[in-house]
Amino acid sequence: MFDFIVGKYNYWIYIILMMIGFYAMMSKRNLIKKIIGMNIFQTAIIIFFISIAAKRGATLPILEHAHDGGEHAIEAISYINPLPHVLMLTAIVVMVATLGVALAIVLLIYKKHGTLEEDEILKKIEFQE
Amino acid sequence: MRILSLIIVILTAAVLIYGTLDMPDCANPDTPASQHVSPRYVTRAMEETATHNIVTSVLGDYRGYDTLGETTVIFSAGMACILILRKRRRQ
Amino acid sequence: MTDQAPILVILFPLMFAFVTPLLGWWKKDLCYPWVLCGLSLSTIFSIITLKEVLNTGVIHYHLGGWDPPWGIEYVIDHLNSFILVLVASISLLVAIYSKRLVKEENPEKEAYFYTLFLLQVTGFLGIVATGDLFNLYVFLEIASLAGYALIAIGEGQAPFATFRYLVMGTIGACFYLLGVGYLYMVTGSLNMADLSQILPNLYHSKVVMVALIFFLVGVAIKMALFPLHAWLPDAYTYAPSATSALVAPLMTKVSVYVMIRIIYTVFKPYYSIEILPVNLILGWLAVIAILYGVIMALRQVDIKRMFCYILIAEIGYMVGGVGLANRLGLTGAILHIMNDALMITCLFLVAGAVVYKLGGHNINQLRDAFKKMPFSMAAFAVVGLSLIGVPPTCGFFSKWYLILGAIEAENWIFIVALLLSSAINAILFFKIVEIAYYGEASHDHNEDSNGGNTIDEAPVSILIPLGVVALAIILAGIFSGKIVSGIIQFAVPPNL
Repeated sequence: MFDFIVGKYNYWIYIILMMIGFYAMMSKRNLIKKIIGMNIFQTAIIIFFISIAAKRGATLPILEHAHDGGEHAIEAISYINPLPHVLMLTAIVVMVATLGVALAIVLLIYKKHGTLEEDEILKKIEFQE
Repeated sequence: MRILSLIIVILTAAVLIYGTLDMPDCANPDTPASQHVSPRYVTRAMEETATHNIVTSVLGDYRGYDTLGETTVIFSAGMACILILRKRRRQ
Repeated sequence: MTDQAPILVILFPLMFAFVTPLLGWWKKDLCYPWVLCGLSLSTIFSIITLKEVLNTGVIHYHLGGWDPPWGIEYVIDHLNSFILVLVASISLLVAIYSKRLVKEENPEKEAYFYTLFLLQVTGFLGIVATGDLFNLYVFLEIASLAGYALIAIGEGQAPFATFRYLVMGTIGACFYLLGVGYLYMVTGSLNMADLSQILPNLYHSKVVMVALIFFLVGVAIKMALFPLHAWLPDAYTYAPSATSALVAPLMTKVSVYVMIRIIYTVFKPYYSIEILPVNLILGWLAVIAILYGVIMALRQVDIKRMFCYILIAEIGYMVGGVGLANRLGLTGAILHIMNDALMITCLFLVAGAVVYKLGGHNINQLRDAFKKMPFSMAAFAVVGLSLIGVPPTCGFFSKWYLILGAIEAENWIFIVALLLSSAINAILFFKIVEIAYYGEASHDHNEDSNGGNTIDEAPVSILIPLGVVALAIILAGIFSGKIVSGIIQFAVPPNL
């Protein structure tokens, strides 16, 4: 039981983080808080992917002795899995791009309604109609 | 609303935890993820792409098309911000 | 040139998008012909790709020359190439249509609008063409980001509606990404064909099951399937006319395509249908979506919002067809992807024309519209008949296949929902026709309506695409037998 919990340590952490973000996205009434929740949510996924890449006893995926002209045999077991890192570089960029667009939209909302509280915006929209 | 989102969060967490039960342990070198596709990147990156940094060689060569998509994402985010925030010029 | 056709379909809108803002700084009027040029080239190459697939079978295009599980590949089969042609040609028509509307609704922003328009189309085409799960995610995000911006510049509460769409859309995309991660963890591959080879040995694994759940929930958010549809009506109602005509028909159809790919290609039907009760859940959600959509549509006084609820009901048709899990049902679903894309495009084109000429999208503004705008309203009549399912139009044939599939699967509730929605669509259609044709016999408006009797039709750049789509709805109906026997029967997985 103890091994079971400790062995999957990263996965438990990622689930907890993701749920914090998910809850904030759905239940917070302030738009900026929602965006913060969205970021936590996305970061949790990055932690998950990076955890897949880890290998015990392996090092960073940068080749050592590379300039010796390939005399040393390169073994896959001694370097961690590079693919999840590549995927997450792309995902981070997507995350930043989404954040930028979200903030631009929030600015537009503030210009239009004068507030960032969801309840007040909804009230104003109802009032207009 | 709060109760509803709490229920959704707990349900999602339950599904995630259920999935975690069958996962291989963290940092295990024998998982399929490290066995199927990635060994080729590590062992042959040097001869095929002549780059020490394997992440770079995958990012820029093996999966370079994803990186084109990534730069396009940045471009579209930039254009999106301009489109959203640009004010009309008053004449 | 023809070996490169699959990638050129996506590269033309992408490369043209990079140049559009530069052209906009130099001469603003050049943007419109430039966009038309890019999308026409894309359409031409998508047709070449379709011909190639029909002649020689599935095309595998290796990007960068790397072999599939290591590099990214494009796999173009009958299903793909068919939807590529559909997406490219509809976006070309909407681009032609957008000329006056963009000038009217978003002056000074044309260059950026068209850049994002092209990026949006690139995203859709990239999603459809790819054979790699992560590449699909990247293009999904391009399409979503462009979509958020295009919707946010709309009228009224558009920014707030877009923010809700953005939050929901991000959850959907992240769930999809999580599904990719779960599958990668147990298989080590991201290639769809490779995954479908490895996965059958892992069908007992809980990780694979959770991956499928997250894929389906993520895609369901993107397509606005019933309990996750809440973002759609607001976002598409307040969006600029040209945007809603592009995004409303295509985003949902592309998501349905992704759902078909995941259920039938990445996972084998015997896992997603027989081991897990996916078809049962989808079937019930589809029935609820259809009934909810048409009933809500009946209650609306805003025509754009009404069309949004019709769209939610139509998604129910396709998901129901996917959930039937037999040849006829899936044929109906794929045929309905085409028919519904045409019908929803036509509906939103009419809405745009009405907004342009009559100044709003309230149903009362349609009064006497038949006299003022005879051509637009004739196109509307064609869509209305197609939505009800009157034979020469295409709506009848996809409904016919869906009903045959439901009889084979003995899913009687789905048939009842289909017939009920036809009946309610008929009521809806005649309600609009009554207002638009006869007007309201009130005395106060007599003086006004004298002036309103003259023809005051929308400009040609709006009427031509409208006419083409309306004609396509009839032609797709007349030739639907040929489309099914020539393309769609090969698109349905053979082991079904």
